[in-house]
Amino acid sequence: MELIKGVGITKHFGGVKALSGVDFKVEQGTIVGLIGPNGAGKTTLFNIVAGAFPPTSGTVHFEGVDITGLPAYKICRRGVARTFQVTRPFGEMSCVENVAVGVVNHQPDASRAVWTQRAVECLRIVGLEGFESTEARHLNVVQKKKLEIARALATGPKLLMLDEVLGGLNSQEIQDAITFIRNLRDQLGLTILWIEHVMGAIMQATEKVIVLDQGRILMNGSPEEVVNDSRVIHAYLGD
Amino acid sequence: MTISLGESRLKSTPKILLCLAGLAVFALLPWTMGVYNQHVLIVCLFYTMMAASWNLLAGYTGQVSFGHAAFAGIGAYVSGILVVKAGLNPWGGVVIGTLCAAAFGFLVGLLCLRMGGIYLSLTTLGFSEILHIVINNEYEITRGTMGLQVPGLIENYSKIAYFYIFLAGALITLAVVYRLVHSNAGLNFRAVQNDERAASALGVDVVRTRLLAFTVSSALAGMAGALYGHYMLLITPHLPSLDQQFLVLSMTVIGGLGSFVGPVIGAFSLEILSEYIRAWGEYHVLVFGLVALFVARFAPKGIVGIYKAWRGKYRAATA
Ligand SMILES: Nc1ncnc2c1ncn2[C@@H]1O[C@H](COP(=O)(O)OP(=O)(O)OP(=O)(O)O)[C@@H](O)[C@H]1O
Ligand SMILES: [Mg+2]
Repeated sequence: MELIKGVGITKHFGGVKALSGVDFKVEQGTIVGLIGPNGAGKTTLFNIVAGAFPPTSGTVHFEGVDITGLPAYKICRRGVARTFQVTRPFGEMSCVENVAVGVVNHQPDASRAVWTQRAVECLRIVGLEGFESTEARHLNVVQKKKLEIARALATGPKLLMLDEVLGGLNSQEIQDAITFIRNLRDQLGLTILWIEHVMGAIMQATEKVIVLDQGRILMNGSPEEVVNDSRVIHAYLGD
Repeated sequence: MTISLGESRLKSTPKILLCLAGLAVFALLPWTMGVYNQHVLIVCLFYTMMAASWNLLAGYTGQVSFGHAAFAGIGAYVSGILVVKAGLNPWGGVVIGTLCAAAFGFLVGLLCLRMGGIYLSLTTLGFSEILHIVINNEYEITRGTMGLQVPGLIENYSKIAYFYIFLAGALITLAVVYRLVHSNAGLNFRAVQNDERAASALGVDVVRTRLLAFTVSSALAGMAGALYGHYMLLITPHLPSLDQQFLVLSMTVIGGLGSFVGPVIGAFSLEILSEYIRAWGEYHVLVFGLVALFVARFAPKGIVGIYKAWRGKYRAATA
């Protein structure tokens, strides 16, 4: 079953055509990579799916329901969570409180004890134990990315959209992160759409890869098909 | 689980006892002083209500409204006019004045929804000026700058009785602010203040959150204004004026924007101080404004922030 499906998604920013007629879908329970050169429109696609802004034209369906143009908070409450490429922590709130914002809007009746416990658990899942009462602005870049993931998990998502979460990690840490992301699917049953520039990670972790270039789908297929495709190599390396 | 979530929650039993003891002493204070000092205390409590409710909006959701004194004016005039022209009981007037201020707060909040920062400030400033002009010109109803004479809340005028009424008003205001800030809505308030886009991505209904803060804050200002009118027995356009607005702003900023006790400290210290420098005329508001600017620039958490930083250093040194 397809969890999310976009048809003909187009987005213009003034004269900039960030996306032009993008069709894509993600099957329930899969990990799908979204790759493409800088400025290809990957983050813009996330923004449209998550409701940060509406598309110029086209539709997005989640679990078969049309969610095009719904406000971000409603899409989140339906089960779509995203991280931000440039992290957006609530700087003056503690890590627990940062994550708790996701919890209380997912479970409005949660008492303080309940949301604290759930937030602490999410922080532990991403490896931020010990930072519970640290104000988020004191975290380093890698920790802020972990916090993004913890907050997204706290909203109880079905679809998790990760936007370049490996930046700043060394190769061992990248391996751990791959295991971590696969576990999110295998153990928590999440479906994952993942933007990443680290091709090795995409090769190892995903079942399917969508390639965007200049606002259009260049191709999609298995990781092996994608890395060996001359069009993809061309798009990345240029002429 | 031993995670500190805002200090006010932890070590709570001794802290609560200390607060209750302080409150008891404070409640006995007016019996030890003359009417003039009793009056100063009552005014302090009025400003506590104003500053604490403005802090809910500006300190916890980041909406720097310049219409807070105007909402107090709405509460006062609605109550005063209903009592004088329609013979309503003053307490009923206070309730309706509060509700009207809430309704106006909701509407102005709606108008300002898509605005932030300077645009919100300017729009609320405009609202405040419009209200001022209307009050000055609708002489038949408001008595303009002459002021509207209104009856008191109690049969036999007594400063001590008013002190307890204002103490109750201030405690209600503080309790409402405390409950909201420490509820799940309080998390949403601060999330919206820190980053609206991130908040909405986590499921926060930003529109609802901002409107809730605007409405509750305006209602509390309306209640403060209505009580004040029936205490002074005269409502003048000075209540909903920018002078008052900047005074409340200065109290909150100097005391500690976004902290629970900050506005209380700011309200008491500035009101008491202004009694001493009354001789300077209205210049004292100007001076407070300048001090507030200075504080906002160099110590954005105000007196409370300075105290916390000092205590942190002291603890580090003795640990
Ligand atoms: N809010 C916006 N306003 C105007 N232009 C935008 C906006 N967001 C994106 N763009 C433009 O749209 C195009 C696609 O940007 P997008 O951020 O989606 O690329 P990306 O594939 O995520 O790139 P990267 O790999 O560098 O993150 C770029 O030309 C960008 O400048
Ligand atoms: Mg991007």
